[in-house]
Parts: sequence; C-alpha cells; structure tokens
Amino acid sequence: MSTRVVGQPHPIIDAVEKVSGATIFINDLELPGALTGLALRSPHPHARILNLDTSAAERLAGVAVVLSKNNTPNAPFGINHKDEAAFCREKARYVGDEVAAVAAADEETAREALSLIRVDYEVLPTVADPFAAQEPNAPLVHDSVTGNIANEFHIKRGEIDEAFDAADAAFADEFHTHLAHQAYIEPTGCAAQWHPGGKISVWGCLQSVFLIRTFMLGPAMGMSPDDFRVTQTKPGGAFGGKLDVKAALMAAMLSRAAEKPVRFMMSLEEDLIAMRPRMPVHISLESAWKRDGTLAGKRVRIVAENGAYSSLSPAIMSSIALRTDNLYKTPAAEIQGKLVYTNIIPSGQMRGFGNVQATYAWESHLDNVADSLGLDPAELRLKNYTEKGDVSLHGWKIASCAVADATRYVVEEMDWKAKRARGGKGRGVGLASCIHVSGNKGFSVELGPDDTDPSSGVVRVDEEGKVEIWSGESDLGQGATSVMAYIASEVMGIPVERFRVPPTDTGYMPFGMGAFASRITLIGGNAVKLAAEDARRNLLDAAAEFMEIPADELEIVEGEVRAKALPERKMSVGEVVRRAGSVIEGNGKWLAGGDVLDKEKYGNPSTTYSFSTHGAEVEVDMETGVVTILGICCGHDPGRVINRLGAEGQVEGGAVQGMSFAMMEGLAPLEGHLRGKNFHDYLIATSMDAPPIEHDFFESMDPYGPYGAKGLAEVAINPITAAICNAIYHATGGARIRTLPVSPERVLEAIEEARK
Amino acid sequence: MSAYKINLCVNGKDETLDVQGDETLLRALRRIGYVEVKLSCEGGDCGACAVLLDGVAVNACLMFAAQADGSEITTVRGIGTEDDLHPVQEQLIEKGGVQCGFCTPGIVVSAKVLLDENPEPTREDIQRGLAGNLCRCTGYKKIFEAVSAAARQVNEGDGS
Ligand code: FES
Ligand code: FES
Repeated sequence: MSTRVVGQPHPIIDAVEKVSGATIFINDLELPGALTGLALRSPHPHARILNLDTSAAERLAGVAVVLSKNNTPNAPFGINHKDEAAFCREKARYVGDEVAAVAAADEETAREALSLIRVDYEVLPTVADPFAAQEPNAPLVHDSVTGNIANEFHIKRGEIDEAFDAADAAFADEFHTHLAHQAYIEPTGCAAQWHPGGKISVWGCLQSVFLIRTFMLGPAMGMSPDDFRVTQTKPGGAFGGKLDVKAALMAAMLSRAAEKPVRFMMSLEEDLIAMRPRMPVHISLESAWKRDGTLAGKRVRIVAENGAYSSLSPAIMSSIALRTDNLYKTPAAEIQGKLVYTNIIPSGQMRGFGNVQATYAWESHLDNVADSLGLDPAELRLKNYTEKGDVSLHGWKIASCAVADATRYVVEEMDWKAKRARGGKGRGVGLASCIHVSGNKGFSVELGPDDTDPSSGVVRVDEEGKVEIWSGESDLGQGATSVMAYIASEVMGIPVERFRVPPTDTGYMPFGMGAFASRITLIGGNAVKLAAEDARRNLLDAAAEFMEIPADELEIVEGEVRAKALPERKMSVGEVVRRAGSVIEGNGKWLAGGDVLDKEKYGNPSTTYSFSTHGAEVEVDMETGVVTILGICCGHDPGRVINRLGAEGQVEGGAVQGMSFAMMEGLAPLEGHLRGKNFHDYLIATSMDAPPIEHDFFESMDPYGPYGAKGLAEVAINPITAAICNAIYHATGGARIRTLPVSPERVLEAIEEARK
Repeated sequence: MSAYKINLCVNGKDETLDVQGDETLLRALRRIGYVEVKLSCEGGDCGACAVLLDGVAVNACLMFAAQADGSEITTVRGIGTEDDLHPVQEQLIEKGGVQCGFCTPGIVVSAKVLLDENPEPTREDIQRGLAGNLCRCTGYKKIFEAVSAAARQVNEGDGS
C-alpha cells in the first residue's frame, strides 16, 4: 500500500517544545501550597524494627504529617504476591525500604523531621546470595515463605530425554547477569492533591496511569481505583522502571493525611537504591544437536534474584525461561525456574523484560555450540530460525518473521565471512538474534481488570481543523504518541503538524494499559487507526451534507475535503466542523490477540512477534583485557516502519543502552549494600563510548499490525550483549564471558581459561 | 546559614533574589521559574543543568548561587525559543536527536558552546564536546548528526 506519512522520517510531534526547554516534567509542575514529601529509608538490608518513635518529628514546626506503620493500616499489595506494604511493618528488608515518610512546609524542614525519627533496629543476618538463601537454615526474608522461594516451576515439553539420548552432541554452559538500573536521566517523582470529599489527583512520570491505580494505589490505600485521577507528566525516560512507582503511593498517602497537596521527588541516589532495577539471573543451559547443526532439544535451569519484594518478577522469570525457545525450531525442552527472595533492592522490569538476560545466555551458548560443531554461527542460526506460520513448542504463533533477512543483512554489512576468517588476533565479530512479544496477554490478567488487553482511542477534530488524539497508552519519550499521530494523519489526510496527543490522564481518556511489553504500536496503534477511520467517516458524512455530494465521492487531502471528481469543490476540515456546530469525533477500540498461558505456560501470549539481529565488531587488548567496540550493526523486523526517524532512534538508543548494560553498568550489591549511588559510580554510556552504528529494517508486513507494524523498543536492546560477547569470543580465540558486566578482569580470566 | 541578596541577568532579564549560602545556582534558578534548567544528579555528572555563565558552560548544580552574583546566565531558552530556534535546536528536531527531551536543554547549551568555539567540529570533537551530557534515550548518533548539520547551517548562514 502506498503511504503518504507512514514510513517517512518525521520529527516527534513534541520536538519543538522539548528542544526549547518548555516541556513540563514532574519536578517542574507547580502545585500551589504543596508540601514537600520525603521518605525515611532503611539503612540496613535486613532488620527488625523494635521501636519507631516519630513524636519529635511530628512536633517540629512546619511538619504537617509523619506516616509510618504506627499510624497506617497493614494493607499489603503486590502484583503477584501481596508481599509489600506502604511502610515496613515488623522488618525492613532492603537498604532503601520505606520506614516512614514526612510532609513538611519545605525540604529543609522535611529533612530535619526525618533526622528526628528514632528507629531502634535489631540488625538481622542478611540474605544476599540467592543460592545460600535456599539452604535449609538460611534466614528468611519473609517469615512465612519457607526456603525464600517466591515462585518456582518445572515444565517439560516434547520428548526431551529421548532428544538428549539420540543427539550427536550435547553442550552445557552457565551464565550470570547483574543488577542494572534503568538509569533514565529524570529521577522519579510524583505529586498528589487530596480533595475534600476524598478523591485524590496524582501526577507523575508514569508508564501506566490506569494500572497504578489498580495494582498499587487502590489496594494500598483501601480506596477504589476510580477515587484517583492520575495524570501523566512526560517522563524523562522510563525503560520499564516507571511502571511500578511507589513515589505515587507516598505522595497520595501523605496528601490524604495532610489534606494538602504534596510533592514527592526522589533524588537520583534514592532512585538508584529504591526503584526496581533489572533482575539478575543465573542461567544453566544444556542443548542437544544433530551433527549437521539441527537443534534437538534444550534444558534450562534458572535461579532468579527477586530481591525483597516480588512485584512483576514471577512474570519476568517466566519470560527469561521460555523466550528463546520460540526463536528457533525447538522440538523439546525442559525448563526449571526458581525465584528467590533476598535482602537486596527488589528487582524488576527493564526494557526487554528478562529477554536481555535470556538472549545473552542462549545466544552466547549458541556460539559455543557452533564452534564445537565447526559451523559458522550465522549459518547455525539460519538453519534453525522459526518462520512465518510456525507454532513454537510453547504455542507461540508466528504471524510474520524476517529474522533471517535481518541476519543476512548484518552478515553482509559487516563483511562477516572475511572477518570471521581472521579471528583470534585481538579483533573479532559476533552476532546474536532475538524474538519479542508485541504486548503480552499475561499482563492483562496480572495488572489489568481482566484478560482482554484492550486499547481504545478517541480522535477529535476541532473547529480550526486541528486534531487531538486521546489514548490511555503512554509516551515515555520513545515517540509512541507521534506514532499514533502519523497513523491518524495517514488515515485522515490531515497534515501531521495539526495533531496533538496530550499525556495520558485517567480523568478523561479512554482506558489503556500503558507502555510496556512493546505493546503500543500494535495495540494502541490499531485502536487509534480505527478511531481515525471513524472520525474520517464522520467528517465526510458531515461534509457530504454541506457540499451536497455523496460521502463516497469525497476525499480528504491536506486537511481539505474535496470532491474526487471536482477538486475545486472543497471545504477545509475546520469549516466542516464549524458548520456541523460541534467537535467531530471518532472512536476505536482494539483487543489484543493471543491467549493467557495455561498452568504449564503453554499458549500464544501475544498477537504477533518482532525480531532483530545485532552484530558487533570489537578489539580486545589481549594484555589488559580492555575491549573497544568498533562498530555495531543492527537488522530489525518491526513489521513495518511507521516513523523512520523514530524507529532509527529506538534502534540506536536500544543498542547503546544494551552495550552500556553489557560493558559498564551495575549496582554491584555487596552484602545488600549497593555501590551505585550517582552517575559517577553508576556509569552509563557517554558520548565518548558511543560506537558507530549501522542499521536497516526488514519489513515483514504483519497481518495484525496497523499498516503492518509491530513492536520495536525491546528488540532494539535484547541481542547486543550477546553479539558483543560473541565478538570477544571470536577476537580472543575462545574467551567466553559468563558473568556480566564485561570487565577487563573478566576478559583476562576468560582468555586464561580459553588457553587451558 | 546566612542569606545573600544577589543580582543575576538571566536570558537578558534582571533578577534580584535572596539565596541561602548553600543554595546551588541550579536550585535558585529553578525556584524563580527557570525550570528549563533540569535537575537530575546534582553532582556534576549528567549535564542536564548546564547553563552559560558569562558565556562559559557550567553545571549549575556545581556552584552556589551566591558565587554567581552579578553574572549573566543563559539557559536553553536564552539560546532559542519555539518561534526563534537556534540551528542546534532546529537540527535536533530535524535529525531526531531528541526523544524524552530531559537531557536536551543541557545538550543545546553544550552544543552551542562547542559550535561557537569550533565552527567545523569533527565527530570526535562533538563526542568530546558533549562528554559531560548524558543521554539515555538516543544512543547519541542522531545528536552528533544534528550538531554537524547545525555547524553546516551556521556556516552557510555566515557565508550568505
Ligand atoms: S544535575 Fe547538574 S550535572 Fe547533573
Ligand atoms: S532524550 Fe532522553 S535522555 Fe536524552
């Protein structure tokens, strides 16, 4: 289909306000009369609270309210396990756990009040190691959870034992990933205003304004979700971290207690120690192969570090466990997962939702296999990739797939054959692939009201011919609302510049689950496309009456309704709306396809799936272990590119974020205490680290996607870690990085190991 | 902590304000409404709070407001606004060098200084010029492209 807007490179629709510094982020929001809210956080990884005395803080002039377990009900909440409360009850379970919170006239008073709160702790032994945590005599993080096991599962699919018995070769590996933060540049914050009558308005840099009411605010505050009006402020980056935002709860509770507006802004340090960073996992893999490089089966064992509270971690673990089996034709698999409580910051979701970790392990293992079988790693993958029309062993239905094209592109672009022939001398190339969902049905049950995973959109055309789109989905800076505007512009024949998409607001917008699981382009995009089609129909019907020409003989071009046969007979869209005497509107809703997985985790979790292959070229100093990334090359299958500039930005940003994760990041917990407290000890890639990046898109034209598009944000980060590690392996003649991040010490150790 | 009365000229506007001795320039500017200067790390690591102080780029979180008494401050909005964008801003839009936009005010300040000092920067010059500005969204590539294009735009403008 030829398109006017879709597929072109467009600036994001709010670029002008952003480059001129006019965007209002949460910390810029003015809330007259607002108090400053701050939390007192546990300094201990594990401690019993013997006594908590807030009276001196309460007496301090300027303090409106002090909240703690002493004056709040025990109302546990949590997405999978109700294991969390607003404030620590009998124990603090990680350094950063909220023990109390104050609201005061200004920050200075609030800080002083925190210092006046007296807490007598009995320091308890720390559970820091997820393996030691499972020992019979290990201390318990939650007294009622024996063995510190938050979740576990064991599934077998296909004839797995036979597959290993009959295999020509079998290989085993172990991999370990680290605790890494989303490290958006905007620290998290929320504000709240209690209204007489009991309703509360909440503002914040949130990924989902609707869901935070149902999984956190409502249950933790004993209120109904619609007692809250939640309005998004544009997040200064989120990457998964701003889905599960306890600052919203702190602001709302303080505001209710003080009966005043409250701003609760976290410092970067608080954000680094008390949000929900990427889950660390320990993955053991075994795989069985035929001599020609056909995959026969695999066994996966995972121990995942939950940290102190669960939130979405069970779902993340399950994602890590099953994901890569759907990328290759896998006849049989056995998968065991254990999610273990520790006294470390609760882990959570970051861009990739476990797939970064899973892909790192499996795709590293694949290169070891290729080496042992004497096959080219790209050929090994090409031989085993899933294809359009496949149903994977877990029940995933592959509706569109161009991963092989993406890999062939990377191979060609990197001059793979020639470079592969020259490995082992300190310079090498590697690649890796991934599959990702576009929305995940499981979340609709865990986070939403039921299993529907719906999205809806409203498109409103005003008397000036300007168009506003209302969608409950969220822009996190990734350009989601721009994608909606381009889709609607394409449908309606109205120029992109006339579109506006305000941040999400439960007060007037239709329901949407929000930004996670790469769901917005597919699910939100389809809803907005249907709404735009409806609005277009309504515009044409109205114009037909005024122009006395049947609607099907009219079209909209450049914001004007024209008679197809007589283009000089025309009316601007604004005029049509004025003559109609009101706003002209269109509505659309779209329900995601796929299933909620059964107890054995079988089913098709997403409407469709996206793919990518990343390649990396590295130089390794064999004496010092220092790795230099010379270049990155990315091939993606996003179904269809809606906005080329935005899609490229996702790929470049994802690849560099992934490289940063692989090479330099880590909160580095030591006995429950984190090292990363600011951007000088939590390092992320700077402009000096940014390598040259090449990329291209392979459009599989998905049958379900709006104009054929599916998700892109997460496939853009998943494979780069393994691609880099595989390039290091090639450059060094066999140094395999089994523990992240890649540090010179680890590289040297791996070089040593490879020499043996 | 003692209070000081200080005078600043911010984006051409005279401001007189009372500051505490330990109030940073960043906090003082935001308090009087210049919220386009972003607050993130408050430790000199991210560059989101970059402003020009008498023409020199500084991180506003790293100095006390009292130390800036009598200076001229330029924020991103002193470099260009919606109706009158600086070439760096125009090219950040055109080339897609802005995503969430949180780092952008600081990037604009650093890039402008870079171009003022070096009208024909290479990729390495741009990398170095922006080394103090963290961006978590873009992967930097499109920011580099925007700064190069802005340099060309400025130079062509001069030549005409
Ligand atoms: S806030 Fe000043 S450098 Fe980060
Ligand atoms: S655009 Fe988000 S941090 Fe740079």
